Amino acid sequence: MKKLSENTTDLLQEIKTEAAELPQNKRRDFMLNGLKLTAGTALATAVGKVVAGQENLPPNVPTWQKSLGRGVVSVPYGQPSKHEANLIRRTVEWLTADKIASISMSPLHKMKGIITPSGLHFERYHGGVPEVNPDDHRIMINGMVERPLLLTMDELMSFPSESHIHFLECPANGGMEWRGAQMEALQFTHGMLSGSEWTGVKLSTILQEAGIKPGAKWVLAEGADAAGMTRSIPLDKALDDTLVVFAQNGEMLRPEQGYPVRLFTPGWEGNTSVKWLRRLEVGDMPWAQREETSKYTDLLADGKARKHSFVQEVNSVITSPCPENPIKRKGLLQLEGLAWSGHGKVKRVDVSLDGGVSWQTAKLKGLVLSKSLTRFGMEINWQGEPLLLQSRAVDETGYVQPTLSQLREVRGTNSIYHKNSIHTWQVQTDGAVNNVQLG
Amino acid sequence: MYNSVKKYLKILVLASAAQGLFISPAYAEEAGHYGLGRIATPEEIAGWDIDVRPDGLGLPAGSGSVADGEGLYEGQCASCHGLFGEGEGRWPILAGGFDTLSEGRPEKTVGSYWPHASTLYDYIRRAMPFTAPQSLTADETYAITAYVLYLNEIVDEEFVLTKDNFSTIVMPNADGFFEDDRPDVRNPTCMKDCKDPSSIKVTSTIAGVTPTEHMEEGASNMTEEAPINEHGKGIYNQSCAVCHNNGMAGAPITGDKEVWADRTKPGMEAVINRAINGYVGEDGAMPAKGGNMSLSDEDVAAAVHYMVEQSQ
Repeated sequence: MKKLSENTTDLLQEIKTEAAELPQNKRRDFMLNGLKLTAGTALATAVGKVVAGQENLPPNVPTWQKSLGRGVVSVPYGQPSKHEANLIRRTVEWLTADKIASISMSPLHKMKGIITPSGLHFERYHGGVPEVNPDDHRIMINGMVERPLLLTMDELMSFPSESHIHFLECPANGGMEWRGAQMEALQFTHGMLSGSEWTGVKLSTILQEAGIKPGAKWVLAEGADAAGMTRSIPLDKALDDTLVVFAQNGEMLRPEQGYPVRLFTPGWEGNTSVKWLRRLEVGDMPWAQREETSKYTDLLADGKARKHSFVQEVNSVITSPCPENPIKRKGLLQLEGLAWSGHGKVKRVDVSLDGGVSWQTAKLKGLVLSKSLTRFGMEINWQGEPLLLQSRAVDETGYVQPTLSQLREVRGTNSIYHKNSIHTWQVQTDGAVNNVQLG
Repeated sequence: MYNSVKKYLKILVLASAAQGLFISPAYAEEAGHYGLGRIATPEEIAGWDIDVRPDGLGLPAGSGSVADGEGLYEGQCASCHGLFGEGEGRWPILAGGFDTLSEGRPEKTVGSYWPHASTLYDYIRRAMPFTAPQSLTADETYAITAYVLYLNEIVDEEFVLTKDNFSTIVMPNADGFFEDDRPDVRNPTCMKDCKDPSSIKVTSTIAGVTPTEHMEEGASNMTEEAPINEHGKGIYNQSCAVCHNNGMAGAPITGDKEVWADRTKPGMEAVINRAINGYVGEDGAMPAKGGNMSLSDEDVAAAVHYMVEQSQ
């Protein structure tokens, strides 16, 4: 009898703790059900059949199998399981003056494969998300063209289109850590990065429809947001692989990603892929817009600044283990990470367990596509020893991801943008993982 | 344009003769003309083509003086950028910072960093004031541009900026930029004995500056949702949050129960009137409708209700 009462006390405490995490309106029901359950469980435990908290585990049949589930279209647009409520975008509030001109990061620590669910794609707004009505939206092509054009969405989508898988990265990704490590989570050190399948019309097709005049060298892309976001794109890139995108991962773009239409410049810094695209102007020189002079230029130690630094050079990071994914058990461990390059395909990724003293080549997993997130992995046998984990990616141009010391040596610490250095996670003997930098 | 039309007609005639079709697929492929969209009219282009280039292309007719700019700046810009361009909170600093670009903490302002004055005109015209973009006239934009140049000691207080004298403005950091020359770093791929293990110094993360609540065991994002005044919330987020989220220019912070209890003492009607008509007092300044005159009185009232609800 004494044992039974102890179990019951524990169970009551557990119910109370769990209830504290629920919304108030659900809390009462939960407590009532729990108390009913306690009475039954206490009795069952007494005869050795059900152990508290294991009602759904074998040999018992789980509760969800003993009643019918919900039917089709009970949720017409599917949502993630309620048990995945922690899988969300997050921001670091002190980074910006307010949330309208700000950034959020993707939860890289929980993501699989190379495609980011559209609802988890990182956000970057310069004037908030405009609510564009596609029926009233027009795309204007003007400047040095034979025929200035005005296109409806329907007309745009009637051009031949293609789909490509590419990463999109803000050049400020990692930019908080030029001077030192200060983010205690992968989501904040590398989360201004996502990967999607993008569908759209080649910009070259649209520019040819308008007829490019001789002497043209640049294209200005302009958004329909409150910031009237603008970037000058060299004509070579515009005629190469730049897309005018209307769909992402099989559906129309999300408002956060530029609904109903955005530019997409594969491999280039995210802000050149101007969202809510309303106008393309062809000209013979860059427009020196605010976002390509005062911002998105890389200030070096000597006070001079690099401009038109469009390409996101090769980069990589280990996504597990990481601060959010500590090591939970000794033995074989699946180390995983992401690598990407704005210059093309990832050719190789090396991993170091000892802070860069020695390196082993990891396996590239799944699709290896140009200017796309690429998965790498390696199996290691961990027996509780401290580690300094690093990954080093090489792309098909032969460019090797640099160390932070190498970057600082040539750029100083004031660049903000384009910090693509090798990242270090420190694994402690208990499996906890910290963000550190090596000197 | 005339040539391409002639070519179009010629091919069309050939195609029609050969196949009896109006437009053949062969034509579409060759010429790259899908016949989609229509010609944008000069009026349509004028309404949307608002960019200004460093060579002055795109500048509208007009002018504005430093003196006119001062009043406009104080009313429309100072609440975020500070009376002297020094910046409030984390909003951009516009003036000063000269000779700091190679220092440990460079101050990148219009005067110390921006290479072209055209960018200033262009950006104010397209995106400022923050809560009411594209609401300024050409002359107002000239005046505010002149005033920000004056705050940076680039023009004197008598200066009048016009379309014609714009090209005479030379920015202090005009020569401060160079074209992308990367790759600028070369990392040799070493595989073994790449460094002396005893030379490794580990620097830890600065603690307490990252949001990490979600990493705690059993953390939950589920919170109780009270019914929300969605209309008011929408207006608030678009037009009020900029100041009322962080107390800019003395704005009562949404959620600060004490301050709001005090502000609502005269009654809701008085608070709403103040929000609609504007207010200047010792405890702060409230531009009429938060500076966004496109809001209706009802919109403002809904937003005020939302703020009060969130502060109880």
